[in-house]
Amino acid sequence: MNRLKFALRLFVLVLFTTAFASGKAGYEKVTEKTLFNGEKLYEYRLDNGFRVLFVPRHKAEVLTYQVWFRVGSLNEKLDPTLKKTGLAHLFEHMMFRGSKNYPDGKFDEITSRIGSEKQNATTYYYRTNYYESVPSSKLETIMELEADRMANLNLKKEVLEKEKGAVVGEYRRAMDQPTRKAWYELMRLMYRESPYRWTVLGSEEEIKGFTLEEAQYFYKTFYAPNNATLIVIGDTTEEKLMGLVTEYYGGMKAQQVPRPPVPDEPIQKKERKETFSHRQATSEILMMGYRIPSISHPDIVPLSLLSTHLSTGMESRFRKLLVDRGIAVGASAGTSSSPDVFQVFVNMAEGQKSSKALSIIDNEISSIVKKGISEKEFRRALNQELLNLYDDISDSSSLGTWLGEYLMLSDNYMRGFEVIDAYKSIKPEDLQRVAKQYLTKKNRSVVVVTPAKKGKS
Amino acid sequence: MNRAILIVGFVFYTLNMFAAESPVILYEEDPTLLTSTIQVVVLTGSSDDPDKKQGLSNLMGEMITRGTKSKNRSTFQGEVEAMGATLGVLTSDDMTAFVGKVIKENTEAFFKLMQEALLQPAFSKAEFASLKKEVLADISHAKNSNSRLAGLALRREVFAGTPLALPGSGSLSTVKRVSLKDVQKVYKDEFHRGNFVFAIASPLKKSEFEKWINPFWKKFKKGEKKERTSTAMKIPETPKLVLVNKAKTSTGSLLFGQSGITATNDMRYELGVGNYSFGGEPLVSRLFRTIRSDLGWTYYIGSTYHAMGQLNMQQGLYVISTTPSIEFTTQTLMKVLDMWKKFLKEGLTKDELNLAKDSLVNSYPFEFDDAQERLWHKLRSYLYGTPVLSPEEYAKKIRGIDNKDVLKAVSNNHNATGWLVSLVADKDIIEKQLAEAQKDVPEKSRLKISKTYEPDELVK
Repeated sequence: MNRLKFALRLFVLVLFTTAFASGKAGYEKVTEKTLFNGEKLYEYRLDNGFRVLFVPRHKAEVLTYQVWFRVGSLNEKLDPTLKKTGLAHLFEHMMFRGSKNYPDGKFDEITSRIGSEKQNATTYYYRTNYYESVPSSKLETIMELEADRMANLNLKKEVLEKEKGAVVGEYRRAMDQPTRKAWYELMRLMYRESPYRWTVLGSEEEIKGFTLEEAQYFYKTFYAPNNATLIVIGDTTEEKLMGLVTEYYGGMKAQQVPRPPVPDEPIQKKERKETFSHRQATSEILMMGYRIPSISHPDIVPLSLLSTHLSTGMESRFRKLLVDRGIAVGASAGTSSSPDVFQVFVNMAEGQKSSKALSIIDNEISSIVKKGISEKEFRRALNQELLNLYDDISDSSSLGTWLGEYLMLSDNYMRGFEVIDAYKSIKPEDLQRVAKQYLTKKNRSVVVVTPAKKGKS
Repeated sequence: MNRAILIVGFVFYTLNMFAAESPVILYEEDPTLLTSTIQVVVLTGSSDDPDKKQGLSNLMGEMITRGTKSKNRSTFQGEVEAMGATLGVLTSDDMTAFVGKVIKENTEAFFKLMQEALLQPAFSKAEFASLKKEVLADISHAKNSNSRLAGLALRREVFAGTPLALPGSGSLSTVKRVSLKDVQKVYKDEFHRGNFVFAIASPLKKSEFEKWINPFWKKFKKGEKKERTSTAMKIPETPKLVLVNKAKTSTGSLLFGQSGITATNDMRYELGVGNYSFGGEPLVSRLFRTIRSDLGWTYYIGSTYHAMGQLNMQQGLYVISTTPSIEFTTQTLMKVLDMWKKFLKEGLTKDELNLAKDSLVNSYPFEFDDAQERLWHKLRSYLYGTPVLSPEEYAKKIRGIDNKDVLKAVSNNHNATGWLVSLVADKDIIEKQLAEAQKDVPEKSRLKISKTYEPDELVK
């Protein structure tokens, strides 16, 4: 697809694309956009590089508050000072454990007291986010707390040691789940050079071994205003929001954030396979990954729709071929970005062999490559995508996550809408083309999990 | 939340409850919605399943979505999905909800399909065989999940001899016993006017739906709304531990169960405050701060009255759940039992009580922040007669609760030692840990594994 043409067909109406001064000292309004449902989205930037995305939404007296940092497990493995994994995630836990102004426990106490909901934080390969929803009357309280822990965290050795216990618990819980283990093995199989081969959680040894100095280094290096974005969706005004943002975030200093390039992964030349047994598994699991281009590439659009065709809904191909026949209890396909993978995941029914599912999937892909898919099937997939999008955008937390993920992945928070818009211009043949180009055996890695035999680990 | 809306809403339910000759339509109109959500609730659920045929309601609900007399499953679901819609079914203890979601432009066409499914289900033999195969595979698959196994063991012990001893999907043997005739009989008996509730959130006007629903509803026979009673349960006087043996887990999956409460329990607000502080609210609860933050034994610990779904007319269970690292599993078990005893004896500190009250009052607006939430309140109010409190009424109720109220509520509804504890872990390891942890405890007072399940037993 022509990239220029693609860019011109934005689903959103871009009203202002050039930066202009807001008239208020300390920040500028970068753009104002109209989302396809008619809502406005505003982007602001403070002098120190801190970015703010704001969608006013006045249906209820509440708002979603999300802070996104462009740092994840990739950074720590590539950082010459650290060269480890697991710290980005452990550090995310430490952000709840006390600042110079609020001792351990106080952040949680205050956010609970003001009625915070959906409060949590997550760490992934390329980003970390902190989020909650609060009554809109408590905007200043939550902003003061979030800005405070971003600037004044008070890392203590004894607290770090306690938190390691909780993180080890999280790690072990993951390792007791055969599907989680299968994903980790798939990443290790697919990536030989790239740090995607290392888990976000790290290893138990690494978690237990992190020092206070390493945590302090991580905080000082990556938690900078020019490495962060605030997303607010809900019941407030630009004037109130940006007045508070300037007050609480404006005083932070921008700094150089190291961003070593992610090593290129050599082109895969043949299929990779691995089988391992898991002591908690009682039936087989099949997990596959095909290498695909990054989120900004136009082929992501048909690849995403292809995954919907294969696995969304009662009429999806995998459902009919695998679940309805009692071969599998669940089968899904999907595209992920950073790592850029077209994933296929099948939970086999007890006693069924994953080789059977693999053969059925191969036949289906082969059929798509040879015959394509019908206009009717294509329409079904398209409308299922729209339904999912409408659900996502209706919920403030989901919309915030949508914008944040695309921003962190592609530096373009509107990319998700562009992908949806581009659905209008693609045809069933595009799905056939990408199936032929990317869903090949030599481009994939296959992990099979089998139940451990009794008495063996 | 606008108080006027709540008052209008309450008058509306009252009118509906006396208007037996018109369908019950609970409605949330929101012009900003991009989709319509249509729930057709039938007041029959898994607690109505006959003994040895648990899973019947679930199978019946699923069969409704698998084709009509004039459309086979593939044609029917194909039409649904092509118009940007989904149609699924949720079976709980006391209801079967057919839940449809559709992009707003296709609301009318989709609702026609829903009506066709509910009025003229195909009940095809081939589809029934396929469905059973699928359900049986999913039941077996529970063995892969330690948390599901812990839940199965807990249910089996607490609700022994009742339909609730098994989850709504049933077990391998009970599902195998269900015939297509059984499914058709439930449909014939339970799909009558008195058993229907329509709960809809849509950008369309309510009058549009009324126009569609009235003639549809009249096509069903007359009947009375089903009344509900609670199922008896067996809670021991002293802690009883059942173990599901899984070799070499690196964590233990622990579930503590006691009698829960019904939706109409008159101390539910006091119990809500108590539970918030004891274990209900992650990050600030007593259990979380102690077991995770201070001791670092687990990643998650929490407690809830909603372990078996939203409160209804079943007493259900009050459950504490956690997954400690294996070396801390028995210590966690003992610590939780001690903390519970202390909670029942002393209640909450002043700080805990104030935090719980502030948090519950301030977060109350989230109960009404979208159409689905508002609709849920209306549905619950209709089904159980529980009022939807305005923010002012709710604040007054919660602010008026003190520690004496909490203590009275927990002592009236709970037992200091009566826990049924299910644990999924390696039996050898747990037995050693129990012996070590209780070496100074007299033999007769020691907590022992009273029963051991193998995973297969829990699904068969």
